Amino acid sequence: MLTIPIEIQLLFAGLLFFLGLVGVLVRRNIFFIMMSIEIMLNSAGLVFIIASAHWKHPGGQVMFIFILAVAAAEVSIGLALILRVFHHYKSLDVEAVNELKDEVKE
Amino acid sequence: MTATDILCLVPVLPLAVGPLIIMIMVAIKRNYELTYGITLLALLLGFAFIFYTIPFVPHSIGPLFVIDHFSLFFLGIIILSALLIVLISYGFIKKLSGFKEEYYIILLTATLGAALLAMANDFVSFFLGLETLSISLYVLISFQKRKRLSVEAGVKYLILAAASSAFLLFGMGLVYVRFGTMQFDQLAAQLIYPVHLSPLLLLGFGMMLVGLGFKLALVPFHAWTPDVYQGAPTPVSAYIATVSKGGVMAVFIRFFFAVHGYQNHVFFIIISAIAILTMLLGNFLAIRQKNLKRLLGYSSITNMGFIIVILLIGNKQGVQASIFYLLIYFISTIGAFGVLSVLSTEDKMVETMKDVKGLYWRKPWLAAAMTFSMLSLAGLPLTAGFIAKFYLIFEAVKADILFLVFVMLASSIISLYYYLRVVTAMFSKTGEEEKTYPALSFSGGLALSFISVVILFLGVYPGWLIEMLIKFVGL
Repeated sequence: MLTIPIEIQLLFAGLLFFLGLVGVLVRRNIFFIMMSIEIMLNSAGLVFIIASAHWKHPGGQVMFIFILAVAAAEVSIGLALILRVFHHYKSLDVEAVNELKDEVKE
Repeated sequence: MTATDILCLVPVLPLAVGPLIIMIMVAIKRNYELTYGITLLALLLGFAFIFYTIPFVPHSIGPLFVIDHFSLFFLGIIILSALLIVLISYGFIKKLSGFKEEYYIILLTATLGAALLAMANDFVSFFLGLETLSISLYVLISFQKRKRLSVEAGVKYLILAAASSAFLLFGMGLVYVRFGTMQFDQLAAQLIYPVHLSPLLLLGFGMMLVGLGFKLALVPFHAWTPDVYQGAPTPVSAYIATVSKGGVMAVFIRFFFAVHGYQNHVFFIIISAIAILTMLLGNFLAIRQKNLKRLLGYSSITNMGFIIVILLIGNKQGVQASIFYLLIYFISTIGAFGVLSVLSTEDKMVETMKDVKGLYWRKPWLAAAMTFSMLSLAGLPLTAGFIAKFYLIFEAVKADILFLVFVMLASSIISLYYYLRVVTAMFSKTGEEEKTYPALSFSGGLALSFISVVILFLGVYPGWLIEMLIKFVGL
């Protein structure tokens, strides 16, 4: 069986994570930000899978299932919040959702 | 699972069963008072069972959890804070429009998450506890879903907390790749110092630090704090400042000590830089605040900076001092937020300096409770806050990290200014229009008088608690 060196595998996971991070930072639509966060979480899950395969240790795969479950819970709350945001702001742009700021001094 | 396992988990069982019972009850018939009563009962039972568990510790449950005096003490602090927050929430939540019972369900699940964090001994339990806590917090923060600011705070927290969880997870993954184990004590066994930290491992620990830094609001990951504190319902702000940070701090301390982070030169420099920045920047930003919730948010940043100094002291006494500090900080912060929440209603939140101006002439007892909390946060003598700060600084001096001691002293002095500003605002005369505040509920009054008494009592007789800490708590 062809084995890919672990560095390459980790590099791939790192690349995915970076893609997700860039998405969170540059996207302005809350939907896309949530999707980018999913990518970040799943790339972290990928690292656990890689480690689990590398060490022949099942813990990492268990962790991945937990990560999936948690990510699903997070998204369900996130989508509910997005609905409320749209209700209040009539927009999903994060720039619009920015009323909480420091107002300094009387 | 053995009988001892179950006996050791007894303190968290009420926190897990309570939400289920309330959920079934809400499905049948909504009753606010009964829900509130069950929540209180669950927390009181949890607190009482801690004393029952003491003879069985230390004990590990599988690879996931470890129950020792350290986790029990943190569990006690977490449950006590949650209890006080439930008491101060009663009046405020009761007057909300819409469904209210869910607040207590989610508050209990969040407390369960924090409690699991205090016992976590493995990346799996660490992550699950943290997410149980965070996901519950998203809901709590945006609980007033008809208010724009509450929803905005919820979204901000959701995005940042989820992204920081991803950082934490990726870091954990890298550490796992290197060592092939997720248990803290097995990691510790493989990390005998001085060890060469490969770039991969450094990156792993660094990313974990980013994730934890977000949850604890350490500079430079603190930017969400004031916004979220301001937008969230006031009791929930108190919850984020106390229970959620307590849980994360517990697991942070346990992990950091397990890997002997304080012996590593790189970590030492990074953590000192973070501690110094956190202590100072929190203060400077707080000085010009006129919104009290934001001010307390910045104050919580500063206080977390104080507590992570103990990571650098790196001995048992440091941990004891930090637990004492954490307890006093929690009680004082809940007192301050508590006064704000018993004064607030859904339509009229009391949160700016102007809102509390002249409070003493209308509600002298509440103003007194707020004053005690503020003085304790500022660390003036005869309040518990003074003892806590003194104890922490004393340990830092003993550990010979004088530069940090200097920053701690400077930061305490700067913080006097803005805490006292709140006090002077409350005692100043106002000739303005009559302000109306809601009547104080019994439970709110009970919590606030308890907090005031504890602050004064521990300020005068702290010895017994410190002795108890020294006798029991270690790592």
